[in-house]
Amino acid sequence: MKHKWAMVIDMDRCTGCGACVVACVAENNIPTAGEEEAGKGRLMQWLRVSRYWKKEGAETRAIFVPTPCMHCEKAPCEIVCPVYATYHDEDDQLNAMVYNRCIGTRYCANNCPYSVRVFNWWDHKWEKPLDEQLNPDLSVRSRGVMEKCTYCIQRIRRGKETALKEGRKIRDGEVMPACAQTCPPGAIQFGDLLDPVSAISRMVKDPRLFKLMEHKGTEPSTVYLKKQRGPGR
Amino acid sequence: MSGGSRTVIIGLFDAVESAGAAAQALRALPIPAADVTTISSVALPDGAVVSDPRPIRFPWAVAVFWFVGAAAGAGLTLYSYLVYPLVTAGKPIASVPPTIIVTYETAMLAALLATLVAGFLSIGLARFWKRKVFDPRIHEGKIAVCAYVTPGDQARRAAGALSGAGGTDVRIEEGVL
Amino acid sequence: MSERHHLARHEEGKLYEELSRSNLVTTKSWYLAAGILLAVTAGAVGAFLYMMATGLGVTGLSRPVMWGTMIILFVFWIGVSHSGTLISAILRITQAGWRAPVLRGAEAMTVFALMVGGLFPLMHLGRNWRFYYMIPYPNERMLWPNFRSPLLWDMVAISTYLTGSILFLYFGMIPDLAIARDHSTGWRKKLYTILAAGFRGTHSEWRRYRVASTLFAVLIIPVAVSVHSIVSWDFAMAMVPGWHSTIFAPYFVAGAIYSGIAGVITVMAFLRRVFRLENFLTVQHFDNLGKLLLTMTLIWGYFYFAEFLTTWYSRLPEDWALVSSYGGHFLPLFLLMLTCNFLLPLPALCLSRVRRSVPALFAVSLVVNIGMFAERALIVVPSLARRNDPSIWLNYFPTWVEMSYIVGSVAMFSLLYVLFSKILPVMAISDIKEHLFRTTDRSIGAATVASVAQEEEGEGK
Repeated sequence: MKHKWAMVIDMDRCTGCGACVVACVAENNIPTAGEEEAGKGRLMQWLRVSRYWKKEGAETRAIFVPTPCMHCEKAPCEIVCPVYATYHDEDDQLNAMVYNRCIGTRYCANNCPYSVRVFNWWDHKWEKPLDEQLNPDLSVRSRGVMEKCTYCIQRIRRGKETALKEGRKIRDGEVMPACAQTCPPGAIQFGDLLDPVSAISRMVKDPRLFKLMEHKGTEPSTVYLKKQRGPGR
Repeated sequence: MSGGSRTVIIGLFDAVESAGAAAQALRALPIPAADVTTISSVALPDGAVVSDPRPIRFPWAVAVFWFVGAAAGAGLTLYSYLVYPLVTAGKPIASVPPTIIVTYETAMLAALLATLVAGFLSIGLARFWKRKVFDPRIHEGKIAVCAYVTPGDQARRAAGALSGAGGTDVRIEEGVL
Repeated sequence: MSERHHLARHEEGKLYEELSRSNLVTTKSWYLAAGILLAVTAGAVGAFLYMMATGLGVTGLSRPVMWGTMIILFVFWIGVSHSGTLISAILRITQAGWRAPVLRGAEAMTVFALMVGGLFPLMHLGRNWRFYYMIPYPNERMLWPNFRSPLLWDMVAISTYLTGSILFLYFGMIPDLAIARDHSTGWRKKLYTILAAGFRGTHSEWRRYRVASTLFAVLIIPVAVSVHSIVSWDFAMAMVPGWHSTIFAPYFVAGAIYSGIAGVITVMAFLRRVFRLENFLTVQHFDNLGKLLLTMTLIWGYFYFAEFLTTWYSRLPEDWALVSSYGGHFLPLFLLMLTCNFLLPLPALCLSRVRRSVPALFAVSLVVNIGMFAERALIVVPSLARRNDPSIWLNYFPTWVEMSYIVGSVAMFSLLYVLFSKILPVMAISDIKEHLFRTTDRSIGAATVASVAQEEEGEGK
């Protein structure tokens, strides 16, 4: 069963609350780096909410850009990996990451125009009782490997297995990554583009749609919606 | 020159000119040109004392190994495309640029290794088991003129010729040139 | 009959002694120097083991600056390595008369700089104990390297170049090893006997030897060019603003030759001073090398300007963000590079007084290599630090661990060189002899005429 998982992020709805980041950290066993390390640019979060300030006349508006992995169809990170640690999962059209293969050249991170890949600079510890809340569905990454947003691949796998067991197709909305599930204003939507009646298939026809750094030709699966302001728009 | 030891006459000379005269005297005995040679610490121009007309063919072996290396490199990349057909970045599985680069590098590597091996074989280096005629005094500035001779009369006449041209320490040995 | 004597003959023993002084006498200061270098190298190795045990967090790296000092050092040392073999091969092929005393030192520099430089891409791996995942060999892990990654090209190219340079160095050394064999005793004699492989110097040996060494020189030049091109493609193949540039390969090659020639001058000045080789490494040699360095200063400046101008003029926003950082946070580095690579060496090298003074030229060569280090840093770091999304822009500064790699790499290179100069012939004795032989004046009767033998080059073809 082939899928083309995609994410739509509605920037007109995003309030920049950061709940998606918290959900992602909880779901994906992401270590907390701490204040000092975060200042050095070593945040481990797979999803960051970039904040920009934009002056419009007298008022200054904040623009929030939640940036997870784009799961590009033509992902620049994949081709530069010398050991196939990151490659394209053709069944789910995902940009997959194999931690055990990774030797940490960090070339993928350099070649990712969105800079969404994070690196395990240290061995991370989960102090008691935090280790009790680790998600058993996915591994805790070791020191020296790259990691990044997987679209919560463990949930996709679980959904596919359940559907297979019950002998049916995956229902729209059945698989939901942690960020989309949590987003209070519902700015993050997730689904299968190969399902013509899915909500996401409808949303990508929105005229507000744009892709981050579209000129790079990476054909990202994560796309954005935003009303364009200003003259001529 | 292959095979076992033969009788060799060797004499030491102080200068190129006397060595040249000695070599000519040996040639006049007659000893074939291929059997007369010099041992010197500096490469002497061909014809200054002796000349070696034999063609040098080992660069062809290097050329052949260049192609062997190229085939190995191309094979390695093509084999990867066959056994590991993983899609990356939506690019073709069989990718041309890496094939070119890896092929080029392995070809050059094979050619360089072949130059060493073929050069060693051609020069006859690393044949420690052979009794090679030599005199360490060439590194004190002497030039040795030596030749294969048949024992007996020719050897005696050759010794006379070397001494006559000003050679010192003329001696007859068993060995190879 | 008039006996024409050649200088080499009379002075043979003395010549060997003078040229092999480094092998013959081991002074206390040698032990001291080797000891200090060993200690510094060991310190850097210790820092590496500490990094290996704790994690790359001990470096100053971050997102977005995922590549830092270790990659700068890699590019820098590969660049330094570039010229030794290249200069030596070009001088051999063109039969430049002044080449002989420069050859060995330059070739050895290549080998050791490559050995040092080649370590860094392995050290910089997040899981450097798993570096063998990149080697294509059948294994139970079902792992196979991805040849589409420029890092694999790098690995193939650098191993080729290292192998080729070692072979080139060794092959060029064989006649000198034969000389050393016949002049030495004890363990040295045993070592040289094996290494000289029974080279004697018969006419046919010399003929074939000449052909093989020319062949080596011809083969090593394209490898040298390809290696630095491929190092540049590690960057140029990535879609990072400032890296993704077609000019990178020739620009890197030019930069590498530039820093390599400076490296040769540094090493030569050292050898000349330490082993008292003033009779062989003459002011003329330094003048010639200085002219080469001047040429490369101009070529480097031209390339840099050509590279810079396209961005400067077109001001594409992504590229411009990078270039404006040269005027901001990275201004000191930029000025250091500009001064050390161009503004200072250009006028200095135009003066024959500087070129003909060994200490002055030595100073210029050091300045150029400092500038080239800054240039490498300026290529690697700002492009990453000012990449695409401004929300992650971050500056980079190396930590003490990385600083110790910088110092340690210099120490390790010097250590290898110091050991080499103690064990193997550091001067191309037979080439020098040959040069003397061919250029010595000869007396014919009462007249003295210049030797014409040097016009008969290229025999044995």
